[in-house]
Amino acid sequence: MSIDIQGLHKRFGNFVALENINLEIPAGQLVALLGPSGCGKTTLLRIIAGLETADEGNILFDGEQASQHARDRRVGFVFQHYALFQHMTVFENIAFGLRVRPRSRRPSETQIRAKVHELLGLIQLEWLAPRYPSQLSGGQRQRIALARALAVEPHVLLLDEPFGALDTKVRKELRRWLRRLHDELHVTSVFVTHDQEEALEVSDQIVVMNHGRIEQIGTPEEVYDAPATPFVYQFLGNINLFHGRAHSGWVRLGGLRLQAPEYQDAQHVPAMAYVRPHDIDLLREPEDGDTTIPARITRISILGSLVRLELLQTEDGEITEVEMTRERFAADQLKTGDLVFVKPRHLRVFLQEEENQTTPLPHWQGHGDGI
Amino acid sequence: MSAPIPKTLSTTTEPPLIRSALLGVALIFLSLFLFLPLVAVFYEALRKGIGVYLAAISDPYALSAIQLTLLSVAFAVPLNMVFGIAAAWAIAKFEFWGKSVLITLIDLPFAVSPVIAGLIYVLLFGAQGWLGPWLAEQNIKIIFAVPGIVLATVFVTVPFIARELIPLMQAQGTEEEEAALVLGASGWITFWRITLPNIKWGLMYGVVLCTARAMGEFGAVSVVSGHIRGLTNTLPLHIEILYNEYQFAAAFACASLLTLLALVILAIKTLIEHYTSTQRQPSSAGETA
Amino acid sequence: MMSRLRQPSVLPGFGLTLGFTLGYLCLIVLIPLAMAFSKAFEVSWSEFWGIVTAPRVLASYRLTFGASFLAAAVNTGFGLVVAWVLVRYRFPGKRLVDALVDLPFALPTAVAGITLTTLYSSNGLIGQFLKPLGLKVAFTPLGIIVALIFISLPFVVRTVQPVLEDLEHEVEEAATSLGAGRWQIFYRIIFPAIRPALLTGFTLAFARAIGEYGSVIFIAGNLPMVSEITPLLIVSKLEQYDYQGAAAVSVVMLIISFILLLLINLLQRWSRLRHG
Repeated sequence: MSIDIQGLHKRFGNFVALENINLEIPAGQLVALLGPSGCGKTTLLRIIAGLETADEGNILFDGEQASQHARDRRVGFVFQHYALFQHMTVFENIAFGLRVRPRSRRPSETQIRAKVHELLGLIQLEWLAPRYPSQLSGGQRQRIALARALAVEPHVLLLDEPFGALDTKVRKELRRWLRRLHDELHVTSVFVTHDQEEALEVSDQIVVMNHGRIEQIGTPEEVYDAPATPFVYQFLGNINLFHGRAHSGWVRLGGLRLQAPEYQDAQHVPAMAYVRPHDIDLLREPEDGDTTIPARITRISILGSLVRLELLQTEDGEITEVEMTRERFAADQLKTGDLVFVKPRHLRVFLQEEENQTTPLPHWQGHGDGI
Repeated sequence: MSAPIPKTLSTTTEPPLIRSALLGVALIFLSLFLFLPLVAVFYEALRKGIGVYLAAISDPYALSAIQLTLLSVAFAVPLNMVFGIAAAWAIAKFEFWGKSVLITLIDLPFAVSPVIAGLIYVLLFGAQGWLGPWLAEQNIKIIFAVPGIVLATVFVTVPFIARELIPLMQAQGTEEEEAALVLGASGWITFWRITLPNIKWGLMYGVVLCTARAMGEFGAVSVVSGHIRGLTNTLPLHIEILYNEYQFAAAFACASLLTLLALVILAIKTLIEHYTSTQRQPSSAGETA
Repeated sequence: MMSRLRQPSVLPGFGLTLGFTLGYLCLIVLIPLAMAFSKAFEVSWSEFWGIVTAPRVLASYRLTFGASFLAAAVNTGFGLVVAWVLVRYRFPGKRLVDALVDLPFALPTAVAGITLTTLYSSNGLIGQFLKPLGLKVAFTPLGIIVALIFISLPFVVRTVQPVLEDLEHEVEEAATSLGAGRWQIFYRIIFPAIRPALLTGFTLAFARAIGEYGSVIFIAGNLPMVSEITPLLIVSKLEQYDYQGAAAVSVVMLIISFILLLLINLLQRWSRLRHG
């Protein structure tokens, strides 16, 4: 079932949680809502579920207005802290959605039993049926919560930070498992996360959100390789930031001078450029034509298959981070203290025009995501 | 319950002498003001022999007093239970303006002297009260009659169950209810099958405290009762009359009944506390975030 | 308007439960309480003032508030010791003692009244030992204090106990390692942490004591100007059909109780801020 979100607005008191959200989620996709705490992603998910009402805007399921009440929407919702019914066994938790149906639509006891066991088989936890939630590990609880949501055969599956409360190892296992499960079931799924790695690894589409707005919608490759805004650049992956000015189709960033034909009309406008650490070459000799910046290697860390170098630009004291493969590192024979010349391979320039385009990475605190 | 302190903490405890002194002070204080009175009730009740004791508690006036006490408990507890659940649902599950004022209002009967609780009903329903003339016309008697006693008892026990449930339901949040609604459950089903099982121990705790107060209420009931033997005397009022007539053994015999009930209530309360504290521990294991 | 006054929620039953709560409170608590105020102010302000400041009434305030203050103070001191012993030490019968601390909550006040009177009268179990010392307890203001100590005993213990339990032992160990002595640790580390709870317990005990009637009337002697507490004064005015006077004195008591209630709320908010 496809989800079509049109012109959604939501505020809590003076706090704008969502501002003009328009989003189409095609049927059968697994979509991530990615953003920092307080960006509105959980609110958006809860509005899709019908747990929260928008001040303005529409939610369409398969082109039709979604029903007013959460219990008629046939969505499966998985809560961050599982929200398992503490006083019921795992079996009863999963059976709940079937048991509370009106008598006319309620399956028989044998059908319920079969369905619950089928789901327990799917999540590979059949042996836990008689246990209580308090006797389970976090990862097990989350899988039970998912099975409970799936029991009512939802048209849409919504997951709120599904792996947020788990430790790193379990989280990695579960997200691969979720992807496999999705490939089996093909239920349209939306999950909220603040973890870019999770979004990049699991989803078909990523919706990057900030301050109640959508910054970019795209496949993982698109949002990583071609971020639409400085915020997306900063939020996904590591970056190096260069400050400078754009003028008549050229951008000057410290010692660098680059052609930027798209800014032909700019006249001495402040600009900033983003470069990923792995999009930088280190040269032993400077190149002609202001395409390199001299810098000194101050620190070398070996991170598994990668090597990360920290450099201090000799002209203005800015720090640059560079990543390269170990083979490359060995071939270049780089050492701490070496003077090298930094040459960005891919570089994206943004002009500092509008307030929202230059917002530096804020300290995300407050505005708990639970609202 | 108090966690046992491991023996390795010897650096952070007092010297043995001070420890014994503190323990001694605490136990002597509690003995003088708690344990001795407790023992004295039974000692005085049985002092004149078991015959006098049995006669006192099977006296018709005593029996009717017991009946009336049970009747006021039977009204006060269910009424305040419904009130407590409704108030806790509204306060714990929703955000609305003026919530803290409402919580304070619920606490109000705790702050009001029981005597004043009785007085206000006299002013409202008494012969010279606001509704008095009208009630007299209709031939309805509230003050110096059973309805007044029930009302006074309800008043003094209003906060007991609500106060137990509000913090409990606030701590539990709304996620389980939301999960049930998303799974298709109606409001009533959600309440009966999700909320109520989650608050059952807190509810029982509140009911126990409410019962204790309702059966023992003296000041408020005394003001509205009129002390008509066999008609408007609750057990505490009956004890007062016996005591003032110097029938000490009979007074203490009736008092021992209420004391026994108090001990039963304490035992239930301790059991609930013990049960809930052992239950809470495993469930918090997975909540790291 | 509703949407402005409350945040929308998917859970049902807000109107029903809030409506019932408010209706119940109005019928049982608020309208009857308003009666006391309306009755009290049927007379002019100066007449009202005359009633509530008559010598016999003033004497009853002094006794009620003085005895309540002393009882609450005694309970604050001993309550701290009891809470300390219950949290930190192990001794046989500890769980029984812990459970019995709540006895005054469960025991009807009339039972407490007749029992304490019997124990502390001059030929009673405790009174007989106090008599040679020249101490008369029953039927004197001292007896009132004894009764009030009994009925307000659990408050300080039960407010301080959980705070003491939650205190981290590491903090004390850290203080020890920094060279602090046992008394210094108590005075500088533990006491500041439990101070809000102690104050809350004191205020709760005080508020409970000033309204107490059942246990006091048996032990007090009830002599006007000497051992007559304010609640008893209200009752005797009522028995003389002086509804006006009873309502006026009640209003004074009610206002003081409301102030104490607010104070307790503020104290509890303060201690919650302290402990997160």
